[in-house]
Amino acid sequence: MDNAVKLNFPSDPRYLGVVRGAVERFAALVGFDEEDCRWITLAVHEALTNVIRHAYHNQYDRPVEVRLRERDEGMEVVMVDHGTGVKQEQMCGRPLDDVRPGGLGLHMIREIMSETDYLPLEGRNELHLFKKRGSKTSVGE
Amino acid sequence: MQIATRQQGNSTLVDVQGDIDLYNSPEVRKIILEELKEKKVSRLIVNLTGVRYIDSSGVASLVEGLKVSRNMSSRFMLYGLSPAAREVLELSRLIRVFEVYGTEQEALQAK
Repeated sequence: MDNAVKLNFPSDPRYLGVVRGAVERFAALVGFDEEDCRWITLAVHEALTNVIRHAYHNQYDRPVEVRLRERDEGMEVVMVDHGTGVKQEQMCGRPLDDVRPGGLGLHMIREIMSETDYLPLEGRNELHLFKKRGSKTSVGE
Repeated sequence: MQIATRQQGNSTLVDVQGDIDLYNSPEVRKIILEELKEKKVSRLIVNLTGVRYIDSSGVASLVEGLKVSRNMSSRFMLYGLSPAAREVLELSRLIRVFEVYGTEQEALQAK
């Protein structure tokens, strides 16, 4: 049996809080401290909102799968959607000295997670996130 | 999430309770912009004491409020940030662009 927790749910923002709860508890279960659990949860949440907004263009009835798995040195999250894929070069976020709404989610994900890998595949997109134990998130104050 | 406004002297306070995420940030944005653009309030103070969680869409709503307030020559302030909310603003490097106070009293008394 695949040693992962799988969450399957519709792309409806109402479920964001449910997914956050599961991710935060999973991160605690595999040994992350409270602060890291908050960061990992935020990164997964931001990735999920990107799926809803950019892959599914705010259609709230499309399928999303999130797989949570403990790996030797940390925690892996795989998010699968069947919406519009994004080219790597389009995933640029925005300069942080440009104070305007939007474009923050991608920056947050990259700051928090140790590895991010986006794979636009035939009929689906996969986002692989990995957080290594002991890799602290810098808030850059 | 619950959101309400109240008047305190020449300041309008927006009390937000709950999580601000993609699901409900449009409501926060709507109230803030309504106060600034339509009611043309001179000082808008957002009370985040009851906010446990805020995501990038919530931060975007606050940034939009800040930008509109500058265009309207109004003051836009935040107070009562939880550690989680402060962390998100710090991570997005936006904590310094806002006027942030610890308590309602401090925000009300800010010159």
